[in-house]
Amino acid sequence: MLNRKDAVMVLLEEVTRRLGPGVHFSCEKFYAAPGSRTALWGPSGCGKSTMLNLITGLLRPDSGTLRIDGADITALSESRMDAFRGERMGFVFQTFNLLPPFNALQNVLLGMRFSDTIPEQEWKSRAVAMLNRVGLERRLHSKPGTLSVGERQRVAIARALVNKPRLIVADEPTGSLDPKTAASVMALLLELCEEEKVTLLLVTHDRGIAEQLPDLFDCTGLAREDAS
Amino acid sequence: MSLWSIAWRYLWNRKLTTALTILSVALGVGMISAVLTLREETQRRFEEEGQAFDIVVGSKGNPLQLVLSTVYFMDAPTGNMDYAVFESLKSHEDVTHAFPIAMGDSYKGYRIVGTSRELMDFAPGARSPYTLAEGRYFEKAQEAVLGAQVARDSGLKVGSVFVGTHGLVQSSFAESHDDHPYTVVGILNLSGSPNDRAIFCDIQSVWDVHSHCDADHDHDSDSDHDHDHAEDPDHDHDHAHDHDHEGQEVTAALIKLASPALRFEFKDQINKHSNAMAAIPIMEIQKLYEQLLGTAKLVLLAIGYLVVAISSLSILIGLYMAILQRRRDLAIMRALGATRGEIFGAVIIEAFWVTVLGIAAGWFMGALTCVVLNHFLVTRIGFHVPAIHMTADLVSAYSAVVLMGLIAGILPAWQAYRSDVARDLAEL
Repeated sequence: MLNRKDAVMVLLEEVTRRLGPGVHFSCEKFYAAPGSRTALWGPSGCGKSTMLNLITGLLRPDSGTLRIDGADITALSESRMDAFRGERMGFVFQTFNLLPPFNALQNVLLGMRFSDTIPEQEWKSRAVAMLNRVGLERRLHSKPGTLSVGERQRVAIARALVNKPRLIVADEPTGSLDPKTAASVMALLLELCEEEKVTLLLVTHDRGIAEQLPDLFDCTGLAREDAS
Repeated sequence: MSLWSIAWRYLWNRKLTTALTILSVALGVGMISAVLTLREETQRRFEEEGQAFDIVVGSKGNPLQLVLSTVYFMDAPTGNMDYAVFESLKSHEDVTHAFPIAMGDSYKGYRIVGTSRELMDFAPGARSPYTLAEGRYFEKAQEAVLGAQVARDSGLKVGSVFVGTHGLVQSSFAESHDDHPYTVVGILNLSGSPNDRAIFCDIQSVWDVHSHCDADHDHDSDSDHDHDHAEDPDHDHDHAHDHDHEGQEVTAALIKLASPALRFEFKDQINKHSNAMAAIPIMEIQKLYEQLLGTAKLVLLAIGYLVVAISSLSILIGLYMAILQRRRDLAIMRALGATRGEIFGAVIIEAFWVTVLGIAAGWFMGALTCVVLNHFLVTRIGFHVPAIHMTADLVSAYSAVVLMGLIAGILPAWQAYRSDVARDLAEL
């Protein structure tokens, strides 16, 4: 699929990580091209969330090569990794993970608060534009508790994209939604990633969702028991 | 969106818990504010009284006792000294004012203070502690001017007649001077000074009463009595000022010098070259203040700081529990790019907000306490409690409270700092 290393947005080679007594994660090779949309599919416990945590730097590998957007993230210090994550990555979670004390607009603003990607004077206009784009122009000042689950996930998508990230990692983004809402949220996510030219890694155990994406990586067996 | 506003929104999100924590800090701070303000004002008032006279001279004994008994009307006098001593003091070149004090009797526990009429015109500094609320000053023997508290508690009015009893404390066994009644001719304004608790009269009144006592006693013993006023109802006390003072005694002399700088030299002169004892009221009272009120202040301050320490503990517990409940939010912030330092800072800022708001609320509570106390004490004893103003002591106390609040925030902040983001996100 790819011939040049610098054309790789995400690259894992011979990555291992001990997960607990007698269990380890091992990924021989995975890569995703810039602007690609890849589903990380597999049953529960197969290691797909571990893979996501390794890619986002929330977990450090024990060995192997792990490059994101050209950077060897295993060589980054924790604080540099925090900054790298804030600047280059956006997150969409299954349970939305909006912060309850903040309204929709403030939650999206928080997406820019911890990185230097967008100048501060543009924060508000950018956040409002993103919320308009996901169809929430009338819910800017609504707290998460007053939003429907579909609206919450739209806010989460706006927050993930507001910072102009290079990579979106979405962990079961439709897992808490009814089929109709799930379909519309998936369509929105894919549409926005296309528009913003962002690489998408989407973790799902749902084969149907996974097959909506152009690329699919089968995570089955990434987390396994040690060979005796 | 700053860390300050993030911290504020989390506090606002749990209003009740935050309000209760702030209240607990406020209670301690309010107590500290009120205690420090009251202490400052008490000390100022005590010292103001002490500054009114540069020197007090009396018979030898304990200098503090001399000051307390003659300036504050609080203790038993050290004894008497010859009136001649007072006269020599009065004529001293460094002395601008000298007032005799003679005590020995009381009315319902309030001292009858014999002095000179000039004392009533004495106005130390900017104060006029002898201004009249009604009536006039005494002009002859057996006329009395009441302090405001005496008038209020005794019910005596201008024109009332009363009889003193021997001794300075109220007792049913005290000998009553029925043959020498006093007539109230004036009542002083409430001044918040010891004068409120005193009955002033011409010194001749005290001499007359006690010369009769002595005479009566003499009569009882050896029948050598030749001047019994009691048996002469028409006896005119106007002659009092014409009395020869030879052989008379005074309890003390209140002295104002030409300059406060002369106090030590004057005191040394008296103490070395006479049978009398001189004391500097302000020095004695400062010593007493440190020994007695200083300890009371420390106890009250300790209670205040204890309340603040308990409040700090409630800040710690409140924040710690909040951090446990907010592991999800903290992990999300980390995922959004927040550093561990920023997470630590946000929690410390929450502790800071609670502490600062607690101080503000405590200051308000302290001010309210002072207003209520002021209303009560001004009408009761003329003691004015000022509004809280920033003194060095108060700034130090508030700084200590802020420090305690921040220390209380460290453990929860550390808990947030070292949280495992991947695990916390996985547990969502």
